[in-house]
Amino acid sequence: MALSIERFVGWIAIIGFFFLGVAIGGYAKTPAFALHGWLIAAAAAWGARYLYENASDAPDRPLEYNDEVIRFTVIAAVVWATLGFLVGVVLSLQLAAPELNGDMPWTNFGRLRPVHTTAVILGFGGNALIGTSFYVVQRTSRARLAGESLPLLVVVFYNLFVVLAVTGYPLGITQSREYAEPEWYADLLLTVAWLGYLATYLRTLARRAEPHIYVANWYYLAFIVVIAMLHVVNNLAVPVSLETPKSYSLFAGVQDAMTQWWYGHNAVGFLLTAGFLGMLYYFLPKAAGRPIYSYRMSIVGFWGITFFYLWAGSHHLHYTALPEWVQVLGMTTSVILLIPSWASVFNGMFTLNGAWDKVRTDPAVRFMMVAILFYALATFEGSFMAIKPVNALSHYTDWTVGHVHAGALGWVAFMTFGAMYKLVPWLWQREGIYSLRLEAWHFWLALAGTLIYVGAMWNSGITQALMWQTYDDSGNFAFPFIDTVEAMKPYYWLRAIGGLLYLVGAVLGAYNIYMTVRGPAKARTTPAMVTAE
Amino acid sequence: MSHDAVLVFSKSWGAAYLLIFFVAAVVWAYWPSRRKRYEDASKWPLKEDDTPCQ
Repeated sequence: MALSIERFVGWIAIIGFFFLGVAIGGYAKTPAFALHGWLIAAAAAWGARYLYENASDAPDRPLEYNDEVIRFTVIAAVVWATLGFLVGVVLSLQLAAPELNGDMPWTNFGRLRPVHTTAVILGFGGNALIGTSFYVVQRTSRARLAGESLPLLVVVFYNLFVVLAVTGYPLGITQSREYAEPEWYADLLLTVAWLGYLATYLRTLARRAEPHIYVANWYYLAFIVVIAMLHVVNNLAVPVSLETPKSYSLFAGVQDAMTQWWYGHNAVGFLLTAGFLGMLYYFLPKAAGRPIYSYRMSIVGFWGITFFYLWAGSHHLHYTALPEWVQVLGMTTSVILLIPSWASVFNGMFTLNGAWDKVRTDPAVRFMMVAILFYALATFEGSFMAIKPVNALSHYTDWTVGHVHAGALGWVAFMTFGAMYKLVPWLWQREGIYSLRLEAWHFWLALAGTLIYVGAMWNSGITQALMWQTYDDSGNFAFPFIDTVEAMKPYYWLRAIGGLLYLVGAVLGAYNIYMTVRGPAKARTTPAMVTAE
Repeated sequence: MSHDAVLVFSKSWGAAYLLIFFVAAVVWAYWPSRRKRYEDASKWPLKEDDTPCQ
């Protein structure tokens, strides 16, 4: 049996990670770091066994889509979503009642917050994107996923990265870069897994049956390529030793800040936007039973988003040491971004035109429609908040938190739930979802939760901003800072209620998906012997 | 190259580059001969697709 390049590189990576894990486990001075070392070594040992066991099945690829790996990501996404939302509710309660921090180092707000953000963005969003991208690239290319062993290794090691991240934070392992907190060894693992993802995606596209590449794949590919670039550059760091997880970033001062927000904002632009637009451009037409309203507009929108997003990150650093012209550049491109963003919004809504009955009867389509509306709201709001005088009001207030959650809860998660309620019955060959009523309950709970959350944060954000900027006749602050904190209490309780409703909806969704998977398989009609078109 | 020179270059040519690229992308997407390819592609998700071609 010939050793393919895929297997050869896979072996090198796995052996490398095995020795890295053992070295960390052996040299580490803290139990947390040692635990991570042994986790990496154990996962690498599993990977070696998996590669060895699958060493002989390469020549005969089955003529069917590879859905096993997608089922893995769907389950992982549901688990991470439940965990992430739960930690989010705990954090919102801690803000409303600070004594709930548990009075222990590993349960305080600062350590739990990245557990929430990583679990929802990378655990839930990342798995949903990897899984749906594998589904879409296979169907629209009419080709089985390239590689018989790499895809599962990619998703397992990706999830190992998320596990290393969220177990590290409570124990104090962080490099303090927002949304890029994991230390160098976890970053290295993600880099290798991500390159494997990119290779799998490109090699599948190369096997496609039609010359044209369906537009959803463009968005997914932009997501994969840009995240690879951002992750590598932002995490350039020098580890100190194998005894502690500590590393030092290659950047300092304002360059450090700019690198971080170039990363941070494009993670929003390409993970939370481009990737999910890819999902939208496949699952919305499929669920609504109608072609994309304007395929050409989706292409123009693609180039608009990929070209302008990359320059918008500096709007996170208005009125700082960053050169003025870089701030203005960030502001301008952020405002221009409204055009390609709303092009996608109109494209999505007009695609639904003619299928409004499905919005009424199918909660999954309703999830997607509301996702588009929240995308419209969040992109308009984002462009507005990037304008410098508006930012002077909104920055550092809860308005930003509200904006992020309008996008994350309203757009990203609604889109994912809509796609998943369709995808789960397809992947497990079920007649349909276990309970449409539960699905509808999930929808209304999630919508109520999001509206309460975002409404509360708008109010608290504006209140905060105005209190901070009220001066007396001699130019002193009219309100001591603690007064502005006190004034937030009712809004923080409201937010906790909104978050709780959202969590309850997601738990219903997890139960519904679990029961669908456990339920009976669809009765097979004629065996699939129809020849390909 | 001084900081100011880079600045002038990026301020002027950066804008031209983005504008030219935008026009090119629109012309490319709306070029009449590509109409049929895009109309076909827009219907792909609606196909029955139980088995791959390869």
